[in-house]
Amino acid sequence: MRKNKLFNWIIMGIFLLLASSPLYAEDGSHDTLSTVIQVMIAITVFFVIIVLWLVMVYSEKNDTEGSGLKKFFGSKKPVSVEEEEKLLLDHEYDGIRELNNRIPPWFNAILYGTVVWAAAYMIYYHVIGSGNVQEEEYAEEMRVAAMQHEALASSGALIDENTVTITNDVADLNKGKEIFDKNCAACHGVDGGGIVGPNLTDNYWIHGNDIKDLFKVVKYGVAAKGMPTWEKQLTPKDIQDVTSYILVKLHGTKPANGKAPEGDLYE
Amino acid sequence: MNVEKFSYDNQYPKLFALATIFWGVVALLVGVTIAIQLYVPALNLGIPYTTFGRLRPLHTNAAIFAFVGNAIFAGVYYSLQRITKARMFSDVLSKIHFWGWQLIIVAAAVTLVSGITTSKEYAELEWPIDIAIAVVWVVFGINMIGTLMKRREKHIYVAAWFYIATFVTVAVLHIGNSIELPVSFLKSYSVYAGVQDALVQWWYGHNAVAFFLTTPFLGLMYYYLPKAANRPVFSYKLSILHFWTLIFIYIWAGPHHLLYSALPNWAQSLGTVFSIMLWMPSWGGMLNGLLTLRGAWDKVRDDPVLKFFVIGVTAYGMSTFEGPMLSLKNVNALAHFTDWVPAHVHVGTLGWNGFMTFGMLYWMIPKLWRTKLYSKKLATVHFWIGTLGIVAWVIPMWWSGITQALMWKEFTEIGLLKYPNFLETVLQIVPMYIIRSIGGTLYFTGLLILVYNLFKTIKQGSFVPEEEAEAVPFDRTPEPVKYGMIHRYIESKALLFTALVFLAIIVGGLVEIIPTYLVKSNIPTIASVKPYTPLELQGRDIYIREACNSCHSQLVRPFRSEVERYGEYSKAGEYVYDHPFLWGSKRTGPDLHRVGKKYSNMWHYLHMQDPRQMSPGSIMPRYPWLLEWDMDKESIPAKISAMRTLGVPYPEGYEDQAIADLEKQANEIANDLIQNGIDADPNKDIIALIAYLQRLGTDIKNEVAEK
Repeated sequence: MRKNKLFNWIIMGIFLLLASSPLYAEDGSHDTLSTVIQVMIAITVFFVIIVLWLVMVYSEKNDTEGSGLKKFFGSKKPVSVEEEEKLLLDHEYDGIRELNNRIPPWFNAILYGTVVWAAAYMIYYHVIGSGNVQEEEYAEEMRVAAMQHEALASSGALIDENTVTITNDVADLNKGKEIFDKNCAACHGVDGGGIVGPNLTDNYWIHGNDIKDLFKVVKYGVAAKGMPTWEKQLTPKDIQDVTSYILVKLHGTKPANGKAPEGDLYE
Repeated sequence: MNVEKFSYDNQYPKLFALATIFWGVVALLVGVTIAIQLYVPALNLGIPYTTFGRLRPLHTNAAIFAFVGNAIFAGVYYSLQRITKARMFSDVLSKIHFWGWQLIIVAAAVTLVSGITTSKEYAELEWPIDIAIAVVWVVFGINMIGTLMKRREKHIYVAAWFYIATFVTVAVLHIGNSIELPVSFLKSYSVYAGVQDALVQWWYGHNAVAFFLTTPFLGLMYYYLPKAANRPVFSYKLSILHFWTLIFIYIWAGPHHLLYSALPNWAQSLGTVFSIMLWMPSWGGMLNGLLTLRGAWDKVRDDPVLKFFVIGVTAYGMSTFEGPMLSLKNVNALAHFTDWVPAHVHVGTLGWNGFMTFGMLYWMIPKLWRTKLYSKKLATVHFWIGTLGIVAWVIPMWWSGITQALMWKEFTEIGLLKYPNFLETVLQIVPMYIIRSIGGTLYFTGLLILVYNLFKTIKQGSFVPEEEAEAVPFDRTPEPVKYGMIHRYIESKALLFTALVFLAIIVGGLVEIIPTYLVKSNIPTIASVKPYTPLELQGRDIYIREACNSCHSQLVRPFRSEVERYGEYSKAGEYVYDHPFLWGSKRTGPDLHRVGKKYSNMWHYLHMQDPRQMSPGSIMPRYPWLLEWDMDKESIPAKISAMRTLGVPYPEGYEDQAIADLEKQANEIANDLIQNGIDADPNKDIIALIAYLQRLGTDIKNEVAEK
């Protein structure tokens, strides 16, 4: 029996050393806080193991052979209600008897599993990691949000009929021409002189001449006049580009065969 | 050895049991009332003393310390004598314990509704009552340990291990958390400030759950469940394992109440990992309870006592699984400050504490009165109504908690808060509040059935104050300690056992609290954070008096959604002069840490007069008395000097100038209000409260400005 005990203590000592050695392997560049953290973790691990160890070693009566470890993980099968007499302990309290059933293996597995997980968690975040867990998470969350914001801004998703402005950017206007030629020219003519749709080059406008007005017409369409809704096909940025192209490039040109003015005159 | 004749004292188990029933009715009635107030704010009848902020601590204190507390004492006084084969140590101590505890409860009820509170959850009582609690608790401890010392059983049964842990730990927690500096007879400030106060408070608060609501009830379970089922306890081995791991690990888990807060990260992580490790030790109790019923499940079918125990133990298992899950940081990021937390708590309190208590009473009262239960049928009806009540309470609160959390965090496609107006998220869950109050009412109805049933039982029986018993004293010659029998040895030494329990429970608290206190880098100071002005300090005390922190947090968590909604997230250094901290634990209303300068003085004035003037549909009660009550200026010098003692850097002699400064600032605010057409009086409470609210969270902005 004594030999077993000694053996168990040695095993525990090795385990403790293994568990705590990475904590001290860091270089000397730490401030007080991380030193404290390391000591905390070491103490934590130490006490958890001590407590579990005590329980493990002494949790059984002295009636079976083998070491603490063996007894603890013991091979005894769970005992049925009929056979339980064998497991009854020899004491009773006010008529209450106690059995000494084995601890379910899944119970031990999860218990020690969580202990290992806990040690890994602390080491991962506070020994390997910087320990500034929530500050880093916050910075990451804000970085992702900023990236999304940027993407939205460049895709023009932040643009709508209330915020839209004319863009004079050459690339934007070229993109606008591309969109116009592909989607609008069929009705308004490549030169904007108007075919089925009205002339876009003169000073007469049916729904207003502001970029915001044009944006709205393109986005939602004008069902009564056969102008389709474009918001499902063009992004807000596309609509900004194409309406800007109309106002900057097409408007004021005098295409041959331009359609007669429609709507009100805007000077 | 000779058989000794003695008698068990049934008098105090009886008194405690009756007190349990009485305070149970009170606690639940107040609970139902405040549940309804959440959707009918006018139910306070316009009276300060019945307003949510004051009734909520009354409910929690009455439920925990009056109802559950008396149930623990009833159960312990009855069972301890029998498992030790000894009469309680001293009838005088029993008497002091019983009447002292009831007096404390009455004092608590009176002070809490009067707004006399420290604001620290489940530790709201002011310092004279704190001292009384400590004294009475120690009386209980002496009575218990004394009984163990003169026991006639050689070994201490597992139920008593849990009783010992309860006594030792609650004493440590209560004293540790209640260290406060009195300003006057009924006012004190916590010696801890800000982050440290938060850590100490939740070390206490979490372990009040552990050692007032959990360990004593596990002890009771180990006595009453096998007695009622007439079955042996499933596993002695498991008892040892889960007892020691439970008490050791529990104490560390407090910081899980402060995840994503200004608490240092390492302490938060300890809170998380220890909560996860707590899962199996908690379930050990559940397993030993449920598996003890092996071979007795047929009895469960027709014995209401066992029915209550089964649901009670199952509820314990559920909430001790939910607890570790809520302690995972990603789950907590969602659930904290929402209704999910009260849902979690009430699975434990209604299911575990309530049902275990009911089962115990149905079993014990007939025993004490030498009769049978008046009606098994009524007890079964109580069981079903109660179970339905729990379900109708908890499910809507889970639903509402998740709804709130998702609404608080949701962004639109273009990166704006989907529900920028907090009120929208409140109105969404009002139907859930209504269903919850119905659940509470059902549960309360069940308790009334119990009252009737036990009243009838008592009437048909005859009480036996002294129950004759006999036992052989155990052989006190020391036995050699043998390997494999060490625990058996410890069980035979009451004082040694108590000392080991003390060691196991003291480690976690010390490791977490001491570094937070001593290591400077844990609380980085912020130069622009200055002490409160006298008027603001006064306003802060009004905030505490009205328990605004029952519904409003003062902690912006480091999430994009919160920063977007409230402003910069809260830093540890901002709270260094907050004695006590006021982070709160629930957002029934929005966070207030950055409310300073967000609204005009007039807005606050009108909002306090009637919140619905400014926020139509708001469920906040009106506070018209703040506009009428005179400010307590005389207490200011004493408060300033107390704060200086606690380390707040008011200059020497500032006391003499404080009242003048207070009046100057009050006049400025009143003048601003008057200019806006409000007939304001600078001497009223409202002025101080506005001053405080306008200051909240603004110091850090000055730092940015200085840069």
